[in-house]
Amino acid sequence: MRLPALAALLLAAAAPAAARDQLNLFAWSEYVPQKVIDGFTAETGTEVNYETFSSNEEMISKLVAGHGDYDLVQPSDYAAEALIKAGLLAPLDPAQLRNRDNLDPAFRHLPHDPAERYTVPYMAGTVGLCINTAVVTAPVTGYADVFQPRFAGRIVVLNDNREIVSWALATLGLPPNQITPQTLAQVRPVIARWVKLVKVFDSDSPKTALLNGDVDLGVVWSGEAAILWKQDHKYRYVLPREGAHQYIDCLAIPVGAPHPAAAHRFIDYLLRPEVSKLISDEFPYTNPNAAARKLLSPEQLSNPASYPPAGKLETFRDIGRLASAVDQLMTDIKSGQ
Amino acid sequence: MSGESNRAGPCAWLLLAPLLAWLAAFVVAPTAILVVYAFCQHDELGRVVYQFTFDNFARAADRVYLVIFARSIGYAALTTALCLAAGFPAAWHIARAPADRRRHLLLLVMIPFWTSFLIRTYAWMTILKQDGLLNGLLRAAGLIPAPLELLYTPGAVTLGLVYTYLPFMILPIYASAEKLDGALLEAAQDLGAGPWRIFPTVVFPLAWPGIAAGLLLVFVPAIGMFAVTDLMGGGRIPLIGNVIQNQFTQARDWPFGAALGVVFLALFAAAFAVLRRARPAVP
Amino acid sequence: MPARPTLLDRGLGLWTGAVLVFLYAPIAVLVAYSFNASRLNIVWEGFTFRWYEAVWQNRPLVRATENSLLVAGGSTVLAVVLGTGGAWLLHRYRFRGATAIATLLAVPMVMPEILMGISLLVFFTLVRLPLGFATVIIGHVTFCIPFVLSAIQARLEGMDPALEEAALDLGATPLRAFLLVILPYLAPAIAAGALMAATLSLDELIVTFFTTSSASTTLPLRIFGMAKIGLNPMLNALSAAFVATAALFQLLIGRFRRPAA
Repeated sequence: MRLPALAALLLAAAAPAAARDQLNLFAWSEYVPQKVIDGFTAETGTEVNYETFSSNEEMISKLVAGHGDYDLVQPSDYAAEALIKAGLLAPLDPAQLRNRDNLDPAFRHLPHDPAERYTVPYMAGTVGLCINTAVVTAPVTGYADVFQPRFAGRIVVLNDNREIVSWALATLGLPPNQITPQTLAQVRPVIARWVKLVKVFDSDSPKTALLNGDVDLGVVWSGEAAILWKQDHKYRYVLPREGAHQYIDCLAIPVGAPHPAAAHRFIDYLLRPEVSKLISDEFPYTNPNAAARKLLSPEQLSNPASYPPAGKLETFRDIGRLASAVDQLMTDIKSGQ
Repeated sequence: MSGESNRAGPCAWLLLAPLLAWLAAFVVAPTAILVVYAFCQHDELGRVVYQFTFDNFARAADRVYLVIFARSIGYAALTTALCLAAGFPAAWHIARAPADRRRHLLLLVMIPFWTSFLIRTYAWMTILKQDGLLNGLLRAAGLIPAPLELLYTPGAVTLGLVYTYLPFMILPIYASAEKLDGALLEAAQDLGAGPWRIFPTVVFPLAWPGIAAGLLLVFVPAIGMFAVTDLMGGGRIPLIGNVIQNQFTQARDWPFGAALGVVFLALFAAAFAVLRRARPAVP
Repeated sequence: MPARPTLLDRGLGLWTGAVLVFLYAPIAVLVAYSFNASRLNIVWEGFTFRWYEAVWQNRPLVRATENSLLVAGGSTVLAVVLGTGGAWLLHRYRFRGATAIATLLAVPMVMPEILMGISLLVFFTLVRLPLGFATVIIGHVTFCIPFVLSAIQARLEGMDPALEEAALDLGATPLRAFLLVILPYLAPAIAAGALMAATLSLDELIVTFFTTSSASTTLPLRIFGMAKIGLNPMLNALSAAFVATAALFQLLIGRFRRPAA
């Protein structure tokens, strides 16, 4: 069928890019709408090659293992911090990012990149409690309320070891980034108790278990809860009172990117309010672009998972080598029960 | 086997060269990289730091990981046994079927697996979930009063594994059984043997190469499988595949992941070399 | 062969039927749901073709499907060629270090995919081979070879050596003996091996992730991300279309088949 094409592709693999400008985008799947990409190509003539990943760690490992020739990557805050520390991100040129002032001040000068040298926020979200209020009538406002014996076998949580540890830390009144061998030992019995009550660990699609009726409540990404809310308002989203994790996914340019100018243009394009609105239309995350928010419908803004009422929010910082200890703790606990 | 031209001459080595070159470049070299990694330390990002350490292997011998290895092997063994029990009769039947039906049946066996494993598994979850199709059917037929908890159990995990690997048991057994001379079976029957005698004495030994191949093709990959088991089991039970995956992602400890992988490979290589000597004599 | 089907034969036929029902149960479900008007796949909300339309119009998805088919085709051909030749040579001749070679040949089958993916990526980076179709196919061929080899070897194990001897006695060169006698004999095993290779390649995710460029993105990669947002019925439609096309293809081959050997 495409044998000549294959031969041409193999030969062209090492050849320089075609006359049309290209942009190699390495981003989360289901996070950059096709409409947005097509709009950019139509306006600038730049072809966008959209490659996807499903977790920060996958992205980091591919960046680290070999040159992906990417122009733009989409790390979350702590992942960006790790990449900055490792010298893998290129500094941005503020002159090419005029639309950056559209962002809400709350999303500027974030802890992982205070000088805003390397990253620009894309979309944000939180990790919180999603409750099927048709089944669960008791008030649930915190992690402690979720992990009760009466909900045994009816709980879904993210399959993310660091997340679970941070929740346990929150219930003990400790900051989520204070991960040391001592605090890990402190949270161990808490998590061991919790794990016995959980029916499903799922980071990819926790809403499935909730929709299926296999679980009644859980700790999930706000994006998932927002989709559930759109489906049926019985799925309420609540930020846990002990403290919730807010994540901010950013755009960044890796060192050695072949098309940095196109990358800057794309970032600036995404910062336009009407473009940012398109993203929110398709994916109900928290939009950090204040100008875009003015264009959203009341229905969108009233989604408690997309725009939760103010709560105690903390972002993750990079924990470096301790990620290994976290993983060992959770593996040990999960394996032991 | 003809005696004199049995030893590989220069011509044979030359013909084997492409395969050997492929192995050298894409199996030996990457494995060597992993072995090197396994003895290294790691930095904050998980990357390899070229400083020698034995810690990774010491850690791999920890009880936690041994239990996980054992559990993975257990699931794989159960899966293999079930695949053999379910797959052998089907493979046999297909192999003995008339020639035109054989290929159709074979393709029928494989076609479901040209859909994404994720979609197939989600479809199983739709069938097995609490208000799913199976429960619905059973309740409608009045067989059960309340929905059974079928999903997120070890049973569901096993079902997922058997489903994934069944074709890889059927195909090699088919390839081996297809050549079985019907005359041999007829002769055994003429001598008065019933099917219960023919199977262990005639069928099984002659089909053994295919069975052995099927055992290998199912058991070994099943040990490292985790994607399907995570979905069907709710991600509650860590298997060795999860753990290794985690080292390259969440845990940011590539050398440890490499070490676990090396242990895995070494165990397999040892078992494989032993098994090759221990083939049962074919009559 | 017994003239009329015995009870045992009928039993085996039923068993095979049951196995096929088991294999197709989830397929039937996903085909059914591909016509479901509801987006979230839980309740039935009416019959519709719109997901099939959506798939057809989704350029990245169609592109990914083409890529997957291309990669699967190339990988299968290469794996069969290398695997069949290798299996025959190793069977026919005694090589020094045969056990080592055999073990190495089986390693890709057992190596966890993330290890293979990362080590291949590191290797490709070291030798400065750019990522794309070539690297994806290399990865696929590498772990398909053990499966093809296994199937061929199983069939060779019980082969009567007289087969080749007879051909040689009749004046054929070893090469002609191989092509005209051995290869046809191996045909069922080659078919089995090719089927396994194609199936493995079409469903491969992790190794592909590490060895692909955006131009060569395959279907499983695309699907994996999409499925997370919500059991997109589009994916059910795509899978159903795949199955239907494969079945149709099979029917067509049946029309043009050679008379039974």
